[in-house]
Amino acid sequence: MKLIARSVRWIWTVPSLLVITLGGSLAWSQAPSSASATSPGASGWQWSNVSVALPTSETSFPPGDGAEITPQCLICHSAGMVLRQPPLTREQWVGEINKMRSAYGAPLPADQVDRLADYLFRINGASVSHTAKISTP
Amino acid sequence: MHRPTLMPTPMSRRSFLLRASAAGTAGLMGTWGSKAAAATLVELPFANGQREIVTNFPQKGAMLLQRTRPPLLETPFEVFDQGVFTPNDRFYVRWHLANIPTTIDTGAFRLNVRGHVREQLSLTLDDLVREFQPFEIAAVNQCSGNSRGFFKPRVPGGEWANGAMGNALWRGARLKDVLDRAGVNAGALQVRFNGLDTGVIPQTPDFMKSLAIDHARDGEVMIAYAMNGEPLPLLNGFPLRLVVPGWYATYWVKMLNDIEVLNEADDNFWTTKAYLIPDTPYANVDPGQQGVRMIPINRMVPRSFFTNVQDGAVLKVGQTATLRGIAFGGDAAVAKVFFSSDAGDRWKEARLGPDRGKYGFRRWEVMLRPSSPGTQRLMIKAQNTAGSVQPNQANWNGSGFMRNVIESVSVQAV
Repeated sequence: MKLIARSVRWIWTVPSLLVITLGGSLAWSQAPSSASATSPGASGWQWSNVSVALPTSETSFPPGDGAEITPQCLICHSAGMVLRQPPLTREQWVGEINKMRSAYGAPLPADQVDRLADYLFRINGASVSHTAKISTP
Repeated sequence: MHRPTLMPTPMSRRSFLLRASAAGTAGLMGTWGSKAAAATLVELPFANGQREIVTNFPQKGAMLLQRTRPPLLETPFEVFDQGVFTPNDRFYVRWHLANIPTTIDTGAFRLNVRGHVREQLSLTLDDLVREFQPFEIAAVNQCSGNSRGFFKPRVPGGEWANGAMGNALWRGARLKDVLDRAGVNAGALQVRFNGLDTGVIPQTPDFMKSLAIDHARDGEVMIAYAMNGEPLPLLNGFPLRLVVPGWYATYWVKMLNDIEVLNEADDNFWTTKAYLIPDTPYANVDPGQQGVRMIPINRMVPRSFFTNVQDGAVLKVGQTATLRGIAFGGDAAVAKVFFSSDAGDRWKEARLGPDRGKYGFRRWEVMLRPSSPGTQRLMIKAQNTAGSVQPNQANWNGSGFMRNVIESVSVQAV
């Protein structure tokens, strides 16, 4: 650690140097202009209607036992949210499923929770000992 | 002037661009569609961190895709090196509920103010622009769970790296002025905000957030109709968004169309059950710790980042490199930014760039000239004017909220 500390030599910015170093990065000092004609409130400004199209997801759940339940998940969100989770323990997956059911009203029968948790744990489970595989009541 | 290269070497960089065809580890279970096979991917530096760079969201440039519906789009971190104001088309996107209007008739749009008020209001966009004194403020909008992907142990949620934040110059009407127009009745406790987005099924609680009446009337909380001098992108809340300077973005309700003054505490799900943090310093608990009092998330804490140097960057011995980045103070201005080139043993103040507003990003800059070869651990930390300093140890909580640990990068001097 001390070796590293000694290897560093501090150069403190002096005004003449500052001009040079900031000269290459002027964007930093530019604030967006609120007075532009594109800004609501500018003279002559007119609101325009906005209409956009949102892309649809091309990501799908992988096949496997329990995958037949996942269309229930897709009612409210695309698959990416699930597939980009960190590997979770089965208990954590059960917790996520039950949060979807109780907090957000996911129409998922209680008797499908275990099967869906098994599926999610299989496709994205945390590599932990089997003691983490706790069954929910 | 000599410009040292700060680009990381391909072999040592932990976060690197790659082509899907060359990745080999085609993700979790090889579920990328045919279109994604040709897409540019980024590997965020945590497990399951592969993200596609997408350009197919309206009014948005290249963004990191976390979820298509409802959209979760992260700002690629290199954007933060380009300036202290985040361009609208690169500003991160976060929606809770998928029923998002994709067409806004600006003539028909109304902002309603109701509840515990003398007179209900139904304001057009032109009313808001013309009849209220315009107010401008630069402020950082940061997701409560920004940087959640770095939590150890990992927690479920939106798995962001550090790009679920942005700074904009917001222009609009003060909420106080609008509330005064309606006339808040005595006994008002909170103000609840609702936007046009709703859940797909009726069982899903509508997304609403509330602020205490005094906070709502502090003269800084505002209703923004412009962002960096332009109308807001639809995905950032067009046409109106609540701006709550210094507070986490969960309160910055998008597509704001309903303001309700309450004379009792808001009991809606999103205020009472979601977005809760442990009532502890840095919202920090031990994994598995029970019985901690939980409170609604609120003020932001200071953070700072390197923006032109990453892990694995190479510096030349004997040559001066200009290192730079951004800092923000949370609910108070940046007071000082400190830099260490020896893994935190010694700290020196960084030079600060122009002050563009106490709630915004501020540039910092240091010059470093390594005098001998080797690895150096560089660190950066911000202190705000209220005395809050970034901690040495990363916080942890089960929701992955409020990360603000000191950031560091390892560089090689050669």
